[in-house]
Amino acid sequence: MDYGSQMNGIQSHIEMEVLDQRSTHDFEEESLISPERDPQKTHSLCASQSGGSQVCSINTLRNGVFMSIKIVIFTTKLNLLMPFGPLAILVHKFTGHRGWVFFFCLLGIAPLAERLGYATEQLAFYTGATVGGLLNATFGNATELIISIYAMKRGMIRVVQQSLLGSILSNMLLVLGCAFFSGGIVFYEKEQVFDKANAGVNSGLLLMAVMGLLFPAVLHFTHTEVHFGKSELALSRFSSCVMLLAYAAYLFFQLKSVRPNEEGSQIEESSDDDEVPEISKWESIIWLSILTCWISVLSEYLVGTIEGASTDWKIPVSFISVILLPIVGNAAEHASAIMFAMKDKLDISLGVAIGSSTQISMFGIPICVVIGWMMGRPMDLNFQLFETATLFITVLVVAFLLQEGTSNYFKGLMLILCYLIVAASFFVHEDPASVGEKQPQP
Amino acid sequence: MDDNSTTMARVHSHVEMGSLEQRSVLEFEDESLVSPVSVAAKAHSNNAALRRSISAARLDDFGTKFTSNSVLDSIKIVVFSTKINLLMPFGPLAILVHKLSGHHGWVFFLSLVGIIPLAERLGYATEQLAFFTGATVGGLLNATFGNATELIISIYALKTGMIRVVQQSLLGSILSNMLLVLGCAFFSGGIVFTNKEQVFNKAAAVVNSGLLLMAVMGLLFPATLHFTHTEVHFGKSELALSRFSSCVMLVAYAAYLFFQLKSQKILYVPVNEGESQPEGSTDDEEAPEISKWEAIVWLSILTAWISVLSEYLVDAIEGASDALKMPIAFISVILLPIVGNAAEHASAIMFAMKDKLDISLGVAIGSSTQIAMFGIPFCVVVGWIMGRPMDLNFQLFETATLFITVLVVAFLLQDGTSNYFKGLMLILCYLIVAASFFVHIDPASVGELNPSEPVK
Repeated sequence: MDYGSQMNGIQSHIEMEVLDQRSTHDFEEESLISPERDPQKTHSLCASQSGGSQVCSINTLRNGVFMSIKIVIFTTKLNLLMPFGPLAILVHKFTGHRGWVFFFCLLGIAPLAERLGYATEQLAFYTGATVGGLLNATFGNATELIISIYAMKRGMIRVVQQSLLGSILSNMLLVLGCAFFSGGIVFYEKEQVFDKANAGVNSGLLLMAVMGLLFPAVLHFTHTEVHFGKSELALSRFSSCVMLLAYAAYLFFQLKSVRPNEEGSQIEESSDDDEVPEISKWESIIWLSILTCWISVLSEYLVGTIEGASTDWKIPVSFISVILLPIVGNAAEHASAIMFAMKDKLDISLGVAIGSSTQISMFGIPICVVIGWMMGRPMDLNFQLFETATLFITVLVVAFLLQEGTSNYFKGLMLILCYLIVAASFFVHEDPASVGEKQPQP
Repeated sequence: MDDNSTTMARVHSHVEMGSLEQRSVLEFEDESLVSPVSVAAKAHSNNAALRRSISAARLDDFGTKFTSNSVLDSIKIVVFSTKINLLMPFGPLAILVHKLSGHHGWVFFLSLVGIIPLAERLGYATEQLAFFTGATVGGLLNATFGNATELIISIYALKTGMIRVVQQSLLGSILSNMLLVLGCAFFSGGIVFTNKEQVFNKAAAVVNSGLLLMAVMGLLFPATLHFTHTEVHFGKSELALSRFSSCVMLVAYAAYLFFQLKSQKILYVPVNEGESQPEGSTDDEEAPEISKWEAIVWLSILTAWISVLSEYLVDAIEGASDALKMPIAFISVILLPIVGNAAEHASAIMFAMKDKLDISLGVAIGSSTQIAMFGIPFCVVVGWIMGRPMDLNFQLFETATLFITVLVVAFLLQDGTSNYFKGLMLILCYLIVAASFFVHIDPASVGELNPSEPVK
């Protein structure tokens, strides 16, 4: 179809000013609704149209729906994993073998998470820089948040804490390490550079998050609370509000001090698609909702089968929560960070990796505490000593490596190997019986 | 006498210039001191020349004696010139309340408020004395008296055997300087100068960060040793280790002062008002206002007064904790230092808003370094002399707090720039710290004279 070739034409990398985009996507909007029109005509038509006439017949609407589905679902190879979602539900209904259900859910969520990021990014085109940034800030890690909320509903507080922690660790070590490594391999001769200032601000925020997590943990561990167990919950809730305030100030500060390289970090989620929106605003919103629903459904199965999978596969729940879950949730970001590093756009990779870590630590974790507060669940910032120590040392290592603003394959390799050590540690880690409400006893 | 006051009034201007002329001018003043009244007119013109020749960073030996003021003038200058001295009546009021009602909460609160102006005036007197003693001794004076209030309160608490209060108030002083004072300075400076990013001397900040980390190391080992029960003689080893480490830290601090004074020319020329300069060099002028002996006399009077109030303060702490329903930890770590640092706080903010971030940094971080590397070891040594078991084992929670705070601050300072967001982050960190101490008590195994029952 002509339209198909039109889309292919736009699949090439276009990196131009935002202004052009806006005018361009106006006519795309038109062409989506009446696809059988000649694309060339559409160009000239839209020059004169003011974006108001919506020529809709049932036929064109149905074609529009098909087109939309084609764009959203059939354009990425990752979406081959999509059937695993329904497959997981089937397996659950028929056999109830939790290990397999868990595995299929994991695989099924990966493409959905990626498409969710895509839909968010598309929507961001229409909303402008400010709201776009906010959108990214909130939905950027929507998958992790959805999984966490379901886990909290079931009272699996430790799974929530560990999966959020694992997401931070995987972003900081694995994603960043792979990005540095691949970038360093491709650009062997020169040392890649990135914006030190931005990395410094993020590192500072991560350290503040560690501080927020450290106090409740140490307070509880040393038994120096006024009311044992309750004080640190109150402290956690207070600290979470403070951290959310800091994150809001951070967003405000970033938007206010937009410098040339800030633009790059704002379009951080712009993956290997073009800079032009591919689907209309309402389509984005609809897809956003559909994908969120789908992810919620799969998350419910996922969370329900964690403990069973742990028993079936003889792996500690910690390992599943800290290592396996986040790898899946971050698969898309992982791929895009590597890709940008290989194109010498290290700032965008950094924005994806470290920005995501900062987002989870300063927004994701506190918001889960607040949601737990509203739900009446005792979700707190006391991640227990081992997890807190892990986060602390990781943040230190990464902050130190980032501080000089350069990258090479060795730094990347170091980060990946650090992640291996972390993963191995969690492979042999379980919570003592005194901790955890619904943890399985192996 | 009146001429004197007009002369004094004239000298109230900011002057930043070279220092050679000064010396000659001051010697002139030296002569004229004997007959002050006749020389008033001459002093005017001299002051004009003086104004053009005083440097902000180089107050080398003046070898000057200033005009002796009458007692009334002296009192007028010292007591009545700052608004903060309106709080002075609270001191005697506290003693009255103590004698009449004995309500600990009120006595504590009134003593606290009464100490604020005294601490500020003590800083002022120290700064004035520093004019007469030259850079070296002046720097030492500042280094010792800069945090005299905290040290006096600590010594009284030591006498009473409240070791935990000493540890926690010193810790709180460091935390409040590093987070609250610095954060407010960065924040207000950043708000005023929204367009540009303020810069400060990285080298000085890094040296201070290094010293703070060394202090953390000094505190970490006794705490960890004790906590892991891996001492040779349980309880006694870490006390001996603490005393040894304190001596080492004092040596390090002495070396730091020496290093600063020697390399002042090389590293600190871009206006680092760290230790070699009156720490509270506020918006007063750069010329001394009171004579050397007056300064010494006032120093003694203020120290005595602060001691008296400190005694009431320390005695009322436990009662106040019960009366106000706050943990002692919170009072020691958060409330006491806020008061002790009130003057430094105000001056740091003011300097930041004038784009003199190096001075703000000197006030805030310099004070932290001073307490960490001088104040704490000094208290250990004083405790040693007194026979009190004051050690460097600040218990795990406090040590962890100090550790993470030093890391956060060292990291934020390392790139040498400041903006309002960094300031806001530091202030929010302080909020988290304060909240943590609000719900913190020592377990029954710790603390000799501290109440161990949980406070509701």
